[in-house]
Amino acid sequence: MDILLPVIAALPFLGALLPGLMIRAGRATCASYTALSSGLAFLLLLICAPTVMQGEVLHFRLDWLPALGLNVTFMLDGLGLLFAGLIIGIGLLIILYARYYLSHDDPMGQFYTYLLLFQGAMVGIVLSDNILLLLVFWELTSLSSFLLIGYWTHLPEGRQGARMALTVTGLGGLAMIAGMLILGNIAGSYDISVILTQGEAIRDSEMYVPALLLILLGAFTKSAQFPFHFWLPHAMAAPTPVSAYLHSATMVKAGLFLMARLWPVLSGTPEWFYIVATTGLVTMIIGAVIALFKDDLKALLAFSTVSHLGLITMLLGFGTKMAAVAAVFHIINHATFKAALFMTAGIIDHEAHSRDIKRLGGLRRLMPVTFVIATVASLSMAGIPLLNGFLSKEMMLEEAVHTVWMGSYYMMPALATLGALFSVAYSFRYIVHVFLGPVRDDYPGHPHDPGFGMWAAPALLVVAVVAIGVAPFLAEPLVRTTAHAVIGGELPEFHLKIWHGVTPALFLSGTAVIGGAVLLAAHAPLMRGWLAAPRPEAKVMFDATARGATRLSGWLSDSMHNGSLTRFAAIFTITVVAAGLWAWGGAGIGAPERTMLPIRALPAVGWLVLIVSTGCLIAFHRNRLLALVLLAGVGLSVSMAFVYLSAPDLALTQISVEVVTIILLLLALNFLPKTTPIESSTMRRLRDAALAIVGGVAVSALTYAILIRDFAFDSISAFHLANSYKGGGGHNVVNVILVDFRGFDTYGEITVLGIAALVIFALTDTVLRGPGGRWLVRWGAGTDEAGDRHPLMMVVATRVMMPIALLVGVYIFLRGHNEPGGGFIAGLVVAIALLMQYMASGFAWAEARQRTPYHALIAAGVLIASLTGVGAWLAGRPFLTSDYGYITLPPLEKFEWATAMGFDLGVFLTVVGAVMLALNSLSSMARRRGETINIYPMDINPERPDSPPPPPTGPGGEKET
Amino acid sequence: MIVDILISAFLVISGIFGLVGSVGLIKLPHPMMRLHAPTKATTLGVGGALIASLLYFYFVAGRFSYHELMITLFLFLTAPITGNFIAKVHIHRHETRDSLPSTGSERPWATFESDEDRIRAEGHEL
Repeated sequence: MDILLPVIAALPFLGALLPGLMIRAGRATCASYTALSSGLAFLLLLICAPTVMQGEVLHFRLDWLPALGLNVTFMLDGLGLLFAGLIIGIGLLIILYARYYLSHDDPMGQFYTYLLLFQGAMVGIVLSDNILLLLVFWELTSLSSFLLIGYWTHLPEGRQGARMALTVTGLGGLAMIAGMLILGNIAGSYDISVILTQGEAIRDSEMYVPALLLILLGAFTKSAQFPFHFWLPHAMAAPTPVSAYLHSATMVKAGLFLMARLWPVLSGTPEWFYIVATTGLVTMIIGAVIALFKDDLKALLAFSTVSHLGLITMLLGFGTKMAAVAAVFHIINHATFKAALFMTAGIIDHEAHSRDIKRLGGLRRLMPVTFVIATVASLSMAGIPLLNGFLSKEMMLEEAVHTVWMGSYYMMPALATLGALFSVAYSFRYIVHVFLGPVRDDYPGHPHDPGFGMWAAPALLVVAVVAIGVAPFLAEPLVRTTAHAVIGGELPEFHLKIWHGVTPALFLSGTAVIGGAVLLAAHAPLMRGWLAAPRPEAKVMFDATARGATRLSGWLSDSMHNGSLTRFAAIFTITVVAAGLWAWGGAGIGAPERTMLPIRALPAVGWLVLIVSTGCLIAFHRNRLLALVLLAGVGLSVSMAFVYLSAPDLALTQISVEVVTIILLLLALNFLPKTTPIESSTMRRLRDAALAIVGGVAVSALTYAILIRDFAFDSISAFHLANSYKGGGGHNVVNVILVDFRGFDTYGEITVLGIAALVIFALTDTVLRGPGGRWLVRWGAGTDEAGDRHPLMMVVATRVMMPIALLVGVYIFLRGHNEPGGGFIAGLVVAIALLMQYMASGFAWAEARQRTPYHALIAAGVLIASLTGVGAWLAGRPFLTSDYGYITLPPLEKFEWATAMGFDLGVFLTVVGAVMLALNSLSSMARRRGETINIYPMDINPERPDSPPPPPTGPGGEKET
Repeated sequence: MIVDILISAFLVISGIFGLVGSVGLIKLPHPMMRLHAPTKATTLGVGGALIASLLYFYFVAGRFSYHELMITLFLFLTAPITGNFIAKVHIHRHETRDSLPSTGSERPWATFESDEDRIRAEGHEL
């Protein structure tokens, strides 16, 4: 049965694929298929229910990222069962209701997709047994609710409300991530079932308060607790099914769920009591007061939701077991009557075309069915006996009576009664001002009861309201199981029943009802006073804050990130130097441990060349060609240094990379102005020079400091030397590092290289189609170009060199594993051999002879490397494990083979493909610029008579020299 | 003994030619003249050193070294091409079509002949 848990969580997500497809088959089909996936999930939940009701807890575990503590673990206990049942059950009713609510112009498939995504995320939250997984689902609810609230994209209020909800809940979610990580750290595990056993340790930890605050921030924002309550009413711009779903049973209950889930761990401390209970109390009263003065039906219900969420939060905050039981019971009751109320508000809006209480009234005769449903649900919300709201409100008052707040015995019950009083007032108002009174003749629409499909869902909920109200024992098993899961221990002695005898709570309840009725009677003058009184407007404040934050971040990023490379470099240099100085100032450095070596002549010369080239580069960098030549000088000096320091692999790589880059840059210079213009002022250049000098001096000082000291830790080269042959089957440690020890790095690098080459190709292609291409055409070929662009001597020499260079490439590739060389260098050498042909004989001529597309070379390279890596799996080893052995082929000596060779082949092909594709991009630019395509490999050929001409032999006729 | 003298002689010759090439590079007045100086230095200067090295390895170290032959091959491949390109650059920067001596035929110097001219002269289509 455990296996059902992930299926239940996944079903809504899988089902989310259906509505988009099924909408083509009609709205009813679409709704049915949506209901099918939800219904299936509900059925599976029901299958699990009996086991859970008996007190068992279902667990499912699948390791996902065990190293991070992030695992797909699900748990189903009473709390999860209740919430999952509410989410999926009310979800089903909403699907039915929305089928009739949405108009023909609304994209229904989209709606159901969002709804199912949201449902999946919510179910994920309540089933997760891992707080990291829970956070993933938590963020998913923020995102999917954003889509749902902003579903009517043509309404600015919808878009703004969605944005506000996302901002507030998203920020809370961020805080919660931090809180959860702290919590997991204290408990030593991210599994909720483990955390729940660590209550003592967590409450005693000094990180308890920060963790509590951060987690509560997440829960309060989600559950719209004061002062974060303001987003919920604005989210009412959503279609009513969304409001009914999000704000009665699901989204806003996620915060409550979390508080209930972590109740055994976090509650019971003074911090918990004062933060949670006070916030809940304040929210309950403020929400109720505002709700009374809202004319919009949905706004009234929204604030009443805020108020009831505050009530539940307060109960959880009390920290007593009985209060937790009351909280659980009220969650059930609130979900039933509030969903029904939202749906009736939607019906009124749908039929009367207005939700404004001032324009309604007297609907009793026009919409009798709706009237009955709304009245029962409202009375339950007010807490009238024989309805379920009465029971939980009674329990709440009972708990409030026993609660001491700040040393006062009267404060809590008095304030709780005040909240209840306003709650009664707005509940009555929903009945009296909407349904009672005379029938009017100026309704915007023609109010009448909707079809059965639309009132079926709220009616069903109202049946539950009455059933629980009359026979509370029906709900008792569920409440017991859930409360047991919340409390995590022995349940207090309790029975849900209507008559508890004459208790203080009964008096308070009676006071609230009478006071509420009086308040409603005095509503008109109170409303005038309310409208005249100054009130803080949340939306204005939110918008101002958002604008301010946008401006601040815009200013910050624009001033740092304005596209100027010098500015990036300056910021980077300053930061790095400052960090270095800070580190140096902190701990300082030890005394030097090494003595200086004598300066020998050869390195001194190399150093001088390097310094002079660099100096000249600074002086002449505006002449681009000269700068390139000097750059090559620097590169060659560095390769010489590698040779001198016995690093042949590095030297080979450096030289070949140097050659390839310089050639490609030379070709690219064709399309650039010949000199770099002076664009910055003298002061700015002085500043840049100063920064550069500071950066250079800092790096030199750091290098010097490191070089005259021993390593702080043992270097890993000893390991590499010892295991290179044993583990990787190669004597060339550098190559073994590349293809074996750090093969996965190389694998990533060749992939990046391939992507980079493709990006260059794509960019060039795009540029050539756009204004850049037109500019190239206008610019035309250079005026001062040589007539014979492909001189005979050069062409012949490159032809001679081609086979030699290719052979060198193969040789370097084959020896790579044991001697200096390898796929990367071989790839570069082969690329150089091909580059020479392009340079000498012309782009077009060479391209016409190229048979393999370079894209394919890149793909083949990455694929071969991947397949080599995957091959290790066949042998039951991890990805990219290499193997080697010896083969004897008769004409050859016995030689070694290694699977690393296949990987190296992949590297080789990718490098060749990438370089050549870059070249290809340049060549297409040249072509676009109007460069003519040469038929003959060389412009002047003594074998060709001046006239008459030999017929050109076509692209294959290159063997004419 | 004879070998030592031979090796020394080649080294000295190579040194003299290297020096002459370097002095020429500085002293000669015209770019086209200067082009000759390093050519001499590479062929005879480096050539002498290579022969000396070849002799040394064969007679003193007792093995035949191929590297010098390879170096010679590559020098002979690259030196003329480099010279050719430097000359072309010079012509383009400092000469015009008319300031150059005649080629003795209808057609101009190759580097001044445009694609269209060449097509017309050779009569083929692109």
